[in-house]
Amino acid sequence: MYPRISRRQSFKLGAGALGAMTGAAALTACGSDAGGGDGISLWNFFGPDPEGSEVSTWFETLATDWNESHDVQLDLRYIPNQTYMDGTTLQTAFTSGEGPDLFVISPGDFLRFGNGGALMDLAEYVPEELRADFTPGNLEARSDGEAIYAIPFDAEPLAMFYSVEAFEEAGLSEGDLPETWDQFLDIADKLTTDTRFGALVEPAPGYYQNFTWYPFVWQSGSEFFDDSGNPTFDTPGVHGALQLWQDLVNNGLSPRQAQGTGANEVNANLGAGTVAMQQSGIWGVAQMAQNAPDVEYGVFHLPIPEGGERATDVGGWAIAANADGKNPEAAAEFIMWAYGSSEPEQIDRLVGWNAGAKSNLPTRQSVIDAANEKDSYSEGALQYFVDEVYPTGRPEPRFPPEVYKPISDALQACMLNGEDPASAAGRAQEQLESFMSGYNGLSIEY
Amino acid sequence: MSATTSRRTQEARAAWAFLSPDLIGLGLFIVLPIVLAFGMAFMSVSGFGAVRFAGVDNFLRLLSDNKLPKALIVTFSYAILAVPLSYVVGLGLALLLEGKVRGGGLVRTMVFIPYVLSLVVVALIWQFMLVDKTGVVPTLLRGVNLGHISWLGDPQFALLTVVGITVWSQAGYQMLLFLGGLGGIPKDFYDAASIDGAGWWRRLTSITLPMLRPTSFFILLTSAMACITGVQAFDLIFMLTRGGPADATLTMPFYIYEQAFTYNDLGYASALTLVLVAILMVAVIATFALTKGARFHEGD
Repeated sequence: MYPRISRRQSFKLGAGALGAMTGAAALTACGSDAGGGDGISLWNFFGPDPEGSEVSTWFETLATDWNESHDVQLDLRYIPNQTYMDGTTLQTAFTSGEGPDLFVISPGDFLRFGNGGALMDLAEYVPEELRADFTPGNLEARSDGEAIYAIPFDAEPLAMFYSVEAFEEAGLSEGDLPETWDQFLDIADKLTTDTRFGALVEPAPGYYQNFTWYPFVWQSGSEFFDDSGNPTFDTPGVHGALQLWQDLVNNGLSPRQAQGTGANEVNANLGAGTVAMQQSGIWGVAQMAQNAPDVEYGVFHLPIPEGGERATDVGGWAIAANADGKNPEAAAEFIMWAYGSSEPEQIDRLVGWNAGAKSNLPTRQSVIDAANEKDSYSEGALQYFVDEVYPTGRPEPRFPPEVYKPISDALQACMLNGEDPASAAGRAQEQLESFMSGYNGLSIEY
Repeated sequence: MSATTSRRTQEARAAWAFLSPDLIGLGLFIVLPIVLAFGMAFMSVSGFGAVRFAGVDNFLRLLSDNKLPKALIVTFSYAILAVPLSYVVGLGLALLLEGKVRGGGLVRTMVFIPYVLSLVVVALIWQFMLVDKTGVVPTLLRGVNLGHISWLGDPQFALLTVVGITVWSQAGYQMLLFLGGLGGIPKDFYDAASIDGAGWWRRLTSITLPMLRPTSFFILLTSAMACITGVQAFDLIFMLTRGGPADATLTMPFYIYEQAFTYNDLGYASALTLVLVAILMVAVIATFALTKGARFHEGD
């Protein structure tokens, strides 16, 4: 027999349950403060990573050093890459007015946040000598007129990685590295086996796929906008670049689905032996060194169309401050301390980021000089990226979502659904024209 | 005040006290968002705090949105395929594992485990197993010349693959519900039918299925909702395909997500949500009308 509960007892129980729920909700609300009281928060996808990594350690050390030398304390918040790039966490925080004081931002997201008024103008904190220290294009890509909305801290050119073992198995050598698109398709075909794709370009839709495809358009002299800002997407250059990616997939040379998080992970694809050539960025050098040190690989330029010119895309991350942050002064001070300082200790720290924890190119000449003094880029794949690839690079376009998405749709339709490139490009051109006719945000070109 | 009135008042207070946690939860997390979504559908909301009244602009935009029909077709195709398949598999498993079957407990547990897993984990497992050329599934299928198929990267197969994964993850839960329903059917019915010479198929169609109608109604309704608006239609898609390849798995929840979090257009995302809710309401009302309020037994 169950014990009897009186009505008075049951009323108390009900009230207790209600109180517990309310209390729990209140506690949850307390924990959602992104700013962490008087401190400043920095959201990123590098650290502190529970699984640990060199980039995570670098960020954690940065935060510790700041906190030991400043009254305003910095709170790092780690958000996994996939969620950070295309997820809701950052966006939801801004929507609810609880955005972080500081956050890492890519060119692909720059106008989304910029046009939303979420980026603080840092111009008054950036002295002339620091502006002059940035290598061409890097600061401009985060500026609009006189305003500076983010400080870039690394530059990431794209190239093609190749597996030496796969080449040898196919009876190929370094002398067979493809120069043109036709050669690329031919060599990829020779490298394709039952268990390996000859090449890998990013198949998944998203900002990253667009970023990696843009250089193939530039190589034939085409642009996405003319000098007056009108879309120029329905051109032979775009058709050719779409056709190339379609041929790679239709001929079974490049997968429709990549390993790991995608073609941005060199170690998970080329390093695992599932592809023989892989388009990726300079960060792949660190990935291979840290995760697949025994795999022999090389790097070569992105192939170009017959008669085309070398071109690659230079991405890179920047740090921005929330225009409505709780402590904008401290946020700007942190940015300048961490990424704009000329103190030798801080320059060394940036060398450690760019040529150590995460292989990139620095965005400041003083950091490049310091890295060169240490011979950080004097050999192997990094040297090739610095000496050969980077000079052919252009900063990643900062397209707003309404520009990025029609391009993404056209690329997906051609690459994975076999649509005629001219038809897909024409449809995207109409969408771009329609959007641009009413666009009045920050300038897309710079 | 009479003793009876006082007692009723006390009972009412106790009832409200017990109900209030649920009512507050429903109010905060269901009713309030619905009201807000309704209001936001008439606004232009940027996602960064800028709000202005937009009248019916968002609804007019629905008419010229080329992707909306595609998203609706994908969503309902997904539901039309996944709901009956899950139902048949769940029921089949329940019929096989009903009663005392040797090793039945172990099999029931194994079949139920996928349902306990987070859909994110389910997606990661299958993504790993299906990856082009070197995944477990393509490797196994290479022997029958099907190893070249890209299950998640080919528009012809992507939605079917997502349906298959949905069935795999949901069938265990439905099996459990069916086992409960089967346990409630009096054994006398089967005994009488056997005496009358009814075979397995006749017993299934004349006793089991009719007696399972309340369970079936609950399963079909809730799984249809889950496929159209629930976590399956978003979590699985977000993790497995991001709506691709070439929009082949662009479900309405994912399309609404894109509008809200890629384009920052919360107003239009709300209008899309209302369209989906309206369609569902019509479907649910029709279902309840056809089943007379989900009453399946005479005298109800």
